[in-house]
Amino acid sequence: MNRIRNIFGVSDAQLQSLVAEGLGTGGGWCDLYFEHTAYLDLLLRDSQVGSAGFHIDFGCGIRVLSGEKTGYAYAESTDYPALLSAARAAAGIAGSSCMANGRRPEQVKAVSGTPDCYRMDHDWMQVEIADLTPYLERLEAEIRRRDSRVVKVVAMLSASVSDIMMYNSLGELSTDSRPLCSISVQLVAAQGDRIESRSVSRSLRTGAEFLTEELLQELATEAVARMDESFEASRPKGGRMPVVMAAGASGILLHEAMGHAFEADFNRKGQSIFSDRMGKRICRKGINIVDDGTLPGNRGAVSIDDEGVPGQKTYMVADGVLNSYLHDRISAGFYGVAPTGNGRRESFRYNPIPRMRATYMESGCDGTLVDLVGSVKKGIYVDRFSNGQVKIGEGDFTFYVKSGFLIENGRLTQPVKDLNIIGNGPEALADIRAVAGDLKVDNGTWTCGKEQSVAVSCGIPSVLIGKLTVGGE
Amino acid sequence: MITAEELDLTRQALQTAREAGAQNARATLSKSTEDLIATLNGEVDKVTHCEDRSLSLALFVDGRYGSFSTNRLEKDALRDFIFKAAGITRLLSEDPLRVLPSPERQCRNARTGREMELFDPEVERIGNEERISAALDAAVFGKGLDEGRDWKLVSEEGEYSNAVYDMFLTDTQGLECRHTESCTDYGVEVTIEDANGDKYSGYWWDSVPGKAGFDASECGAVALRKASAQIGSEAIAGGKYNMVVESDVASKLVSPILRALSAYSIQQNDSFLMDAVGKKLFPEGLTILDCPHIKGQTGSKLFDSEGVATQEAPIIDKGTVSRYFINTYMAGKLGMEPTAEEAARPKVMPWPKPGMSRQDLMDSLGSGILVTEFNGGNSNSATGDFSYGIEGFLFENGKIVKPVSGMLVTGNFLQLWQQMAGIADDARSCMSKLIPTLAFSNVEFNGN
Repeated sequence: MNRIRNIFGVSDAQLQSLVAEGLGTGGGWCDLYFEHTAYLDLLLRDSQVGSAGFHIDFGCGIRVLSGEKTGYAYAESTDYPALLSAARAAAGIAGSSCMANGRRPEQVKAVSGTPDCYRMDHDWMQVEIADLTPYLERLEAEIRRRDSRVVKVVAMLSASVSDIMMYNSLGELSTDSRPLCSISVQLVAAQGDRIESRSVSRSLRTGAEFLTEELLQELATEAVARMDESFEASRPKGGRMPVVMAAGASGILLHEAMGHAFEADFNRKGQSIFSDRMGKRICRKGINIVDDGTLPGNRGAVSIDDEGVPGQKTYMVADGVLNSYLHDRISAGFYGVAPTGNGRRESFRYNPIPRMRATYMESGCDGTLVDLVGSVKKGIYVDRFSNGQVKIGEGDFTFYVKSGFLIENGRLTQPVKDLNIIGNGPEALADIRAVAGDLKVDNGTWTCGKEQSVAVSCGIPSVLIGKLTVGGE
Repeated sequence: MITAEELDLTRQALQTAREAGAQNARATLSKSTEDLIATLNGEVDKVTHCEDRSLSLALFVDGRYGSFSTNRLEKDALRDFIFKAAGITRLLSEDPLRVLPSPERQCRNARTGREMELFDPEVERIGNEERISAALDAAVFGKGLDEGRDWKLVSEEGEYSNAVYDMFLTDTQGLECRHTESCTDYGVEVTIEDANGDKYSGYWWDSVPGKAGFDASECGAVALRKASAQIGSEAIAGGKYNMVVESDVASKLVSPILRALSAYSIQQNDSFLMDAVGKKLFPEGLTILDCPHIKGQTGSKLFDSEGVATQEAPIIDKGTVSRYFINTYMAGKLGMEPTAEEAARPKVMPWPKPGMSRQDLMDSLGSGILVTEFNGGNSNSATGDFSYGIEGFLFENGKIVKPVSGMLVTGNFLQLWQQMAGIADDARSCMSKLIPTLAFSNVEFNGN
């Protein structure tokens, strides 16, 4: 904790005074969020690592709550006058003029997050760039060695370390040091006059030990896997049909179809299609859907959230029944429940709001992927995705499929690609016909863009949904 | 607004970069302030005040290149940062194509930042009380707009904001450019509930570069109309329909063309418009111009991020691709003449005649689907294949018949544009891409 406190150089007395200032117009809650993020990136293009970046972002966000209303301001400095000015601006939510003395926390009490959420044995900021560039070069070489049709490779390595310090009007002081690293590959392959583009990625909260030989080989293999099928793939005839979603990245279904609609701010405001369904059955018995901040090293792991609440594992759906929304402190207060550790933000520039972490469905007991495919006479199997979206009120969600297969008479046949799938969240959940026992959490570079960008992940076992609308020709 | 001291700090950063071993460098100081009032159901819900200031550096060191940024601008911290950045750059592969743009291509007339008339000093003088009053005046919750209706307004979220952006760009060739703009924005999202308890949402927004003439009062009513018009929407049978795409969402069909014309896409063979310049790949009726020099218009600017002067020029001229967008580095890679790096303010010209409205296009097509919103989807940049979720309305004899949702439109951009049936003249001036309502014939939709 001392190392992080030294980064910001703010004394106990100043922390207490800033909170008192924030509460000076009658606000009921004040918290301070200090952040120092160092970010580096390396780019390989045309077989050379010819571009690098290094970036520093530093500042403090101050939030004042008056009931469920928010005042927010930040300073890109931790000089006391700048922080004081931000505190006064945030205090504006509760009144137009400052009173002399707000309630001053009596203490500065350390609070711990969930232990072992992320480790960083080799600090990214201590690693020499020269030690990183050969990894990208070897990755490209391995990809090209595996498939001579690859004509272009762009590989990017990015890593950040965010040192965070939070203090609030309960006198709670917490710190967190959050590594986040990603490696992504985009390639273009050519066969005759056909061009195919691909991307693969991995992202974890860990140190430079991330860059293992095993990861390199995995990425190279995955980057060119099923390339023959990509060149053969076509658009299916579209329409309503059964969809088998492969384990792993298909978790985007949960993120879009229900995760957002379970974020408590949408429900508190009456906007979500799930607003009045707490305690009600929304899918068949045996289905458990979780939002989990405690998976070690996961991109969505949260030792302590951005409001100083320890990370948790939250059952949104337990045995098919809606069990919990995802709460920040505001919505938890509104509903009279404990916050679930979902108060997250992109940076000190943003106030926290309820956000997902790692969202997944637990394994079921309806057999294997083969069993699920085998039960479908005519439908579609999907396994790679690029993006999704949802309309919270209507519950209509979509996700874009990069690859999959037609299912004909229980077998995978023609490869398909580049199609959108659309459905309705509650209807799709209620229409889950089978859940296999092969849960996989996907470690791709998933980023959720609800007002602010935050790192998340998703996972799912193989599932069969009775009917969704599939785009096609 | 950037101060004289901050201008000097930016210039000094170039000097420090030279001391650290850079032969050339570019420094860009960006500074902004934004004040925002968010409302929820007719009451103030959030008040925010944002002030940002950061310095970006592009360093050219011994034939190598790196890009860096920091918001720690204290003298010693910045000096340490620049020396560290130069050290990182030295460890990269040599790349002789990384150079500053030739000075004759760079902008020399952006001296004050106000040349484009996008800055209104009145915006800086607006106080929170005035902003709160404007935000509350614009709210429609509790004002009776749902009285006598078969739906009720259950939620309204509005955001009223004022912002000022100021940017100063300088490089070691002596370039100095400035761009300053302000804006006033209001956006509102409403959620309504019908008699069955089904929810529908609607969104609308408006924006002006300054303060004068801004009227947010209609936004809430427009959002309500959009939401209530969707009551009872459902997917209809899939098949081929004529398609009219409303102007405020039509960029979904134009932006992929602009991305495909980017030199980065071309150089990576990741474009469905490879070797397209000079070829007539689009119908005669499609002309897209880049119009970055119209004063007082959102998106106008005199220079790009390299300080290269923007130009008024055709992008697609009567169906023929006129140009790629090629920055200095990509020009070297591709062996092509460099241009500004991207379209600043693309404008799709009306066809077959000016002055047409959305209704004119619907009348001319007779029947089809009017798309008012895209719900997700994506496209394949290498092939131009796309698939998007949509919602909107079925129309017959030019008249809206019923709302539709939960449907998909799937195809290929090059083929879709060959089916172009008309372009209206109703682009919203508050958007940086001036794209009017578009019409296409015989488009494949997937539904029930």
